[in-house]
Order: sequence, then C-alpha cells, then structure tokens
Amino acid sequence: MVDVDDPQPEDFLPLHRDTFQILVALADRDRHGYSILRDVEARTEGRVRLSPSTLYASIRRLLESGLIAELAERPDPEHDDERRRYYRLTPLGRGVAMAEARRLERLLADARASGLLPDASR
Amino acid sequence: MTLRGESRRPGGKTGEAGSVVRPRVPARRPAYLGRMERWCVRAFRSLLLAYPPEFRAAYGRELCLVFADRCRERTTWPGLVAVWLQALGGLALAAPQEHYHMIVQDLRYACRMLRKSPVTAAVTVAVLALGIGATTVAFSLANGLLLRPLPYPHPESLVAVDESAPQRNDPSKGVAFPNYEDFRARNHTLAGIALYDSDRATLAGSADAVRIPSADVSAGLFPVLGVRPLLGRTFLPEEDTPRGPAAVLLGERVWRERFAADSSLVGRSIRVNGAAKTVVGVMPAGFHFPDQAEVWLPLRMDAKLSPRTDHNYLGIGRLRPGVEVAQADQELKATMRQIARENPLTYEGQTVNVLPFRLQITSSYRTAVLTLLGAVLCVLLIACANIANLLLVQAADRSREIAVRGALGASRGRVARQLVIESLLLGGVGAAAGLALAAAGTPLLLALIPIELPRWMHFGVDLRVLLFTAGISMATSLLVSLAPAHLCSRLSLTETLKEGGRGGMTGRRSERIRHALVVGEVALSVSLLVAGGLMARSFLALHQAPAGFDARHVLTLRVWAPRVKYDNPEKRRDLVRRERAEVAGLPGVVSVAAAVSGIPLADAWGRSLTVEGSPLLSLREAPMINHVVATPGYFKTLGVPLVAGRDFTEADGTAALVTIVDQDLARRYWPNASPLGKHVRFGPPEDDEPWHTVVGVAGAVRNQTLQLPGRATVYLAHGEISFQSVSLILRTAGDPLHSAAAVRNRIARVDRDLAVSEVRSLEQVVEGAIWQPRFFAALFVAFAALALLLAAVGLYGVMSYAVSRRRRELGLRAALGASPGVLRGLVLGQALRLSLAGLAVGGVFAVALTRALASQLYEVQPTDPGTYGAMAALLLAVAIAASSLPASQAVRSDPMDALREE
Repeated sequence: MVDVDDPQPEDFLPLHRDTFQILVALADRDRHGYSILRDVEARTEGRVRLSPSTLYASIRRLLESGLIAELAERPDPEHDDERRRYYRLTPLGRGVAMAEARRLERLLADARASGLLPDASR
Repeated sequence: MTLRGESRRPGGKTGEAGSVVRPRVPARRPAYLGRMERWCVRAFRSLLLAYPPEFRAAYGRELCLVFADRCRERTTWPGLVAVWLQALGGLALAAPQEHYHMIVQDLRYACRMLRKSPVTAAVTVAVLALGIGATTVAFSLANGLLLRPLPYPHPESLVAVDESAPQRNDPSKGVAFPNYEDFRARNHTLAGIALYDSDRATLAGSADAVRIPSADVSAGLFPVLGVRPLLGRTFLPEEDTPRGPAAVLLGERVWRERFAADSSLVGRSIRVNGAAKTVVGVMPAGFHFPDQAEVWLPLRMDAKLSPRTDHNYLGIGRLRPGVEVAQADQELKATMRQIARENPLTYEGQTVNVLPFRLQITSSYRTAVLTLLGAVLCVLLIACANIANLLLVQAADRSREIAVRGALGASRGRVARQLVIESLLLGGVGAAAGLALAAAGTPLLLALIPIELPRWMHFGVDLRVLLFTAGISMATSLLVSLAPAHLCSRLSLTETLKEGGRGGMTGRRSERIRHALVVGEVALSVSLLVAGGLMARSFLALHQAPAGFDARHVLTLRVWAPRVKYDNPEKRRDLVRRERAEVAGLPGVVSVAAAVSGIPLADAWGRSLTVEGSPLLSLREAPMINHVVATPGYFKTLGVPLVAGRDFTEADGTAALVTIVDQDLARRYWPNASPLGKHVRFGPPEDDEPWHTVVGVAGAVRNQTLQLPGRATVYLAHGEISFQSVSLILRTAGDPLHSAAAVRNRIARVDRDLAVSEVRSLEQVVEGAIWQPRFFAALFVAFAALALLLAAVGLYGVMSYAVSRRRRELGLRAALGASPGVLRGLVLGQALRLSLAGLAVGGVFAVALTRALASQLYEVQPTDPGTYGAMAALLLAVAIAASSLPASQAVRSDPMDALREE
C-alpha cells in the first residue's frame, strides 16, 4: 500500500551530481565515509573528487531525507584500531538512485536517437 | 533514521571493500610527512569550529578521520598542500550552508511553536509593534531634524553667523550690513559669507497679485550654498549694488506653474513687487532657501546708508577646507572687537557667533526631540519587559518540551538559541508592523504642526531609519529572550521531567526575574507619567498665560502696497484710511485697525529709547524697546486695555508727535508719577530725533513669546510713520476666518494691485507660537498613556500567572475557611507591593528625567508634588484595576478542585 504522503523516488529528481555518486557508491555495499570518497574517485577516474566537508554535508542531507541510514560504528577492516560509521542505502534511496539512473538512461537514449551520440548497439 | 546499535555484522561484501578503501600508503614515506600530516589533522580539527556545534558533534570525528586518510594517500608535501586546499575550499562552502540549514530548521520550529500559542504571539507582536513604531516615529523626527544631511553640497562646512547682544536681552540674531562687509573683507577662515532675509514677493501686477515666499539675498549666497541654477545664472556682484541692474531668480515650481516652464523666460523682464526685473535664472526643483522661499532678489544695500544698528539680516558662511568652526568663531569675534573700537558710537555691546548652520536652524527643536527620543526608548523598554515576562511564562509552560529536547540530545546552547530565534522571529514581525505604524503615523503627527515647516525637513522612512529600526528590533529581541534563555540553560532535566514539566522555570529564580521586570515597567511608566503630566500642566498654564490681548474673534492680514504707485506718506496714509473704511463696512466686523509690527507674537521691531530728564546713555546701554505703529482703534480691536490717557486720533502724528507707552515702560521710568505728558524720543541717543509726548498708557502685551513678559513697548501713530505694508486687524462678531474672503474682496475693491498675504486668525497666530509645547506635550502624554497601558498589561499578566500557580494554595486556604476578602487581599497585596516598589524606583527616575525637561516647562516646577502625587495615584489605581481580575479568579478557586489535585 502506498501512502500518498510517503515520498516517492521521483520527488527527489534530478539529483545533484555528488548525491548520485554517493548513492551509487552505496549501491553494492555498506561503506564508511572514506570508502565512499575512494569509490567515487575510482569509478569516475578522478573526475569527481569530493572534499570531506562536501561529503558529510551530503551525508547529512541524505540521512535527513531518509535515502541512506547510519549503521552501528564498527572497526574499519583496514584500520582495526579505528571505529567508523557505516552507511547503507535505504529502499527509498535505492529507488531514488534507480529512478535517476533511468532518467539518465533516457537522456542518453534521446541523444543517440537524435544522432548526437553514436548508437552503442551498432 | 538511525540504525545505530544494529546487530548485523558487516560481512560478505563489506569485507571485499578493503582493497578499494585502503589508503594507498606508499612503501617508503619520508618521516617529516608523518609529522606534517599530524599537524594538518590538528589544524583541520580546529577549523571545524566553523561548523554549527550540532554538526560538529555528529560528524566532526568522521570528518577528521576521512581527512587523515586523504593526507595519508600523499607522498610529497605539495600533495599534502593540495589536500589541504581542497579541504579548505569544501569547508568554506559547506560550513555556511550548515549554519543556514540550522537556522532554517530553527525558524521552522519557531513558526510551529508560535502557531501553537497564537494569543501570546499576537500580543507580543502587537506590543512590539507599538514599541518599535513609537520609537521609529521619534527617530524619524530626530533623523529629519538632526541627522539627515542638509540638501547642499558639504553641508558640514556651512556655518551660521549671528550677532547677539546678550546683556541687552535682545534675542534677535541679525547681522548689520556694514558689519557683514567688514567680516567679509577681513576674515581668512571663511571661503564665503552671505546675508539673507525672508520676505514675500508679489509676482506680476495682474488681477491675482500673489505673495510668494521670497528672500532678499546677497549675491554670494548661492556660491556659499554651492547650488547651481537649473537655467541661466545666479546674481552677479553688480546686481547686488544699490544702482545695479534689477534682477530676480525664480524657483523651479514658480517657473513651471506661473510661467509654464518657458525656457525663454531667462533674460526677459517680469514685474516683481510692482517693478520690472530681469529673470537671470531658475533654481533647480526642490531648492528652497531659507525655509520655503522660491523667489530671490538681491539685497542692493549701500553700506554707507545702512546703519550698524540695523541688525536686519541672517548670516551664513562656508568654512575654508581644514578650518574648524571654533577658528572662524574666534576670528570673527576678534573682527567684531575691532569694529567696536573703530565705531564706538554705534557699538551696541554685541558679539558675533559662528556655529554649525544646522545647529542654528534646529536649536529650538533639539532638546525637545532628544527628550522625546529618550521617552520613547522608555516605552520600548517597558514593552521589552512586558514581552520578556510573557516569554518567561511561556517558557515555564514549555519546560517539559525543552527538557525532552535536552534528553534527546539537544545541547543547552541549542535550546537557548532556539528561544532566541523565536524571539528574533517575533521581533522581525513586530518591526515590520512597527515600521508600517510609523510610516502611517508620521504624517498624522506632522499634521499636528500648524506651521509650514522649512522645506529641508523630511521625516520619511529612509535607509537610516530602516537600519535603526532593524537594529532596535534586533536588540529588543535579544533583550527579551535573555531571561528565558538564561533560565533554560540552567534547567535540570531530571527535575523537570520528574515534576511533570513545571520544574525549574517556575522556581523562585524565575519569579524574582518576573517581579523585577514588573517593578522596572512600573518605574519607567511612572517617570513617563510624571513627565507627561508636567508637560500637560505646563501647556495648560501656557494656554492661560496673561497674554495681555484677547485672541478670540480677531482676523489679521498683511496688505502690501506697490512702491511705484504709493510712493509718498500721504498716499500711503490715505490708502490705509480707505482700506479701513472699506473693511469696516462689512457685516459682522466690530472694529478695524491697521498696524505695523503690531501683531503680538508675530512681528517685532526694536529701537532704542531716550527718556527726557534721564541721563543720556550710550547705544550699548540704552534699552531696546519694542515699537508698534498703530491707527486709532488698535487697542480696542486687540482687546488691550488702555489704563490711562487716550487712544490715538486720526490727527495724531501729523499735527503733534504723540506716543502711547505700555505699563511696563511706565513703571520702569516713572514709578511714582503719571507718564502722561512726559517726553521720550527714539533711535540712537545721539541722533537728534524729535521728542514725543506720552498721551496714553496701555496694558502690557506678551509680544515675543507667551512664556515671558514681552519687551516694553511704545506705540506710534500711523499718521507719523507709514510703510509699504501694514497689517489689518479686525474684530469680528463670529468666526473671523469666515470673513476672510469678503475682506479680500473689499481690499481688491480699493485697488487690485494690493497684495494680501498671511491671512490668519489671531488664534492661529498664537497657535503658531505655542505649537511646540503643545506638540511635545501631546506626544509625551500619548507615550505616557501607552506606557501606563503596557505596565497594566504586564501587571495583569504576572498577577494572573501567579494566581494560576497558587491555585492549589488558594483553594486550600478557601477550604480552611479563608473568606473571599482574604483571598482577594492576598492577590491585591502582592500587586500593590510590586507597584509600590516600582513607584519608589520610578520616583528617582522621574526626578532625573524631568530635570532634563526643566527648560521646556512653563510655570511648573520639575519636582511639582501635585503632579507626582496625582501620577502615583493614577498608577496605583490602574495597578489595582489590572490585578482585580486575577484577584476575582483567586476568589473563585474551588477548594474541591485543589483538594482533588492533592
């Protein structure tokens, strides 16, 4: 049952670039802050470099709008002495990320259909 | 949503993250980099102070960890610097955003809270709007008069040049023309100095001869003011000489309305005061100097022919760059001493003063406006105390909510900030409403001023007023939230939650603050009440001052005869006779007279007096006597009693030289004899003026101000001296202003070229002379009433809150047999104790406040016991009225309710 007052994924679109990247980073596993940064950087081959401040401002917003959730603090597997906070995508967050991805996909398709980009299938 | 404490261990996928997440720590990393890194992290941690405390608490540690990871990736010091710069940039962007976010959240929460208690919010906003509105109005007045720059370039270097003779009790400020010439020639501190004198000019000789405010000015006036003409030029020095070409300058409005903005007018000739003058230029729109003048004529004075004893003009100068007012003052004073040595016979013992120009033109308002501003700030303080009390009570009701927020992790600072934001929100809304009140109220207030204000005065809302209002409302909001915020930060969570939400806030400490606030309110309103009462009494006394004339049913007007047509005394005397006869024939006119400088409080003409038989005095010692030239019937028309001798006759002045003196003069010179038949003469003592015989003694008239006895006066017959313009004075049976139109018609019947101006009832003249005391008395009374109302509201609020808190105790007392009278007495007693404490403190305030008012008071002592007593009684009565409602609530408390709650 869908409550009309519950936020729908489409309500959040379009997403800010950084926000989308963070959601994508959390799509395959729970991560702590630094792990998100590194993942975004690796996937975008360094084109998107988030500063720690920007990252946590986005995390605060995503937490407040319920797109991600905070897990218990636990040790970083690489730094056993340091406990870190992990974040996980909520079902709503996953929905939003998918909706954004589909939106981008449609844009891409439009660009291909108009010949702006070469058709990938050909 | 927080899933903290969730039991699921990271497993599976999370484990694989390790290779991705591990900071790429290089194999060989110089040791100094490690030291640098530690230093960087420490510095970054302290930079986090830029964030709101809440954000810092939630994410500060994580931020530092991530930053440290970032640093660890780097193997060279430039790399480390790059990390630093990136972090710094991010911080500069994110920290303000977080603050903004926090404030928006607080505001949203504040709006929700205000919606929950709409009555408190509405009362607070209304009280604030009144307080801020009143303050803004008073500040607009002060701004318009004292702060807003005068509409001339570099107004700060303009100075007024006044001559005054303090020891001769001569308040006139005029500069004598020959003295001006000397000042101009001998000074090195002024870049320019000029003379001016207000007048009225008749434009065109057509059917509608109109008198327009004008000024006679020396050619240097416009360069001194630094104002350039819109068209043409200003006066040339040769136009300001006795035989120079006749020139006139017009104001933009006159040029537009009377000459259809015809730009070919410059260079053409128009008729001004019956003579042809060439328009040399048009001054820009909005330029009026002095006051309302918009036609300017050159002085064309001859220094040789104008005596040093005629102080007819006002002086204005502009300081040379870098020169202080005091330097110019000293230099001109030295010049004045030289002039006195060079011209001992005409020296009247006067000195010259150079003072900032604005100071001169605002001197009569200054004290009143500043006192008013002080009074209005008192009203605002009372409003603040009121609101602080309301917020305290509200905060007490909210103790539980606040405690719960604290338990949920909101810091005390956060809760206090929330309260401050709420009151800032209230303050903002109150300021907006107050500004609207002020914008609407200022014109109403100005409508109370019966005189035409000088055109440079503007009292509108400008940037300075806006900033003032913003500042004052901000300060107000912070002030009113101090007490609740302070109490909240001391709130004990467990106590409050245990006590069911009415803990700390309702304790003795909070009660003491509330009581102190009420005492302060009462004290401030008492001092305002006393000030208002004194001003009102002073005004009433002024209204009943022994003026010496009867202002009711008297119409006055000035009639100006063109010089070309009426060029000798005989023609002028005949004209005035015809005017009087024509007007006397009107129905409803009881008597008519004509006079020169004969309208009390409006005109003054001073000359020296020599009494036959008394020692010849030098000019500086000879008394300055007021001169009035009058036709027969003058005393009867004005209602001035003739106490001895006779009135003038038509033959006086031509056949024999006679004079009528007033009682003051008679008492001074002939204390033990009748003045009738004695001889006096006028003008400088050495001049051989003819002797005049005293034929009558008139009652003394307050001719300069209503506050003080007037200058001793002599009356001369109109048959002896005639002027181009006379005042007609009519006593009518009904409203004098109803006759004005008919009188104008009759004057036009005598000669269409006669210009009529200044048509006023004598009551209007009196009104114009005492509007200031009335205006400020009215304002003081209004503010005092507002203060009383606010204090009553405050007292009511505190008492009803006290009753609601003591309900249990009062109910128990009722159950134990206390009579309604005893219960009522309990509440009223507390209210009275607070009010009496307020009265005691307020009495001390009042003494200080009214001392500042002393100069504004007429025939009332600043410590008048009657006023103090009456105002104290009024306040106590209001206090009892305000607390009687809570008292009856106390009486109605049901013992059963109280016992059930137990």
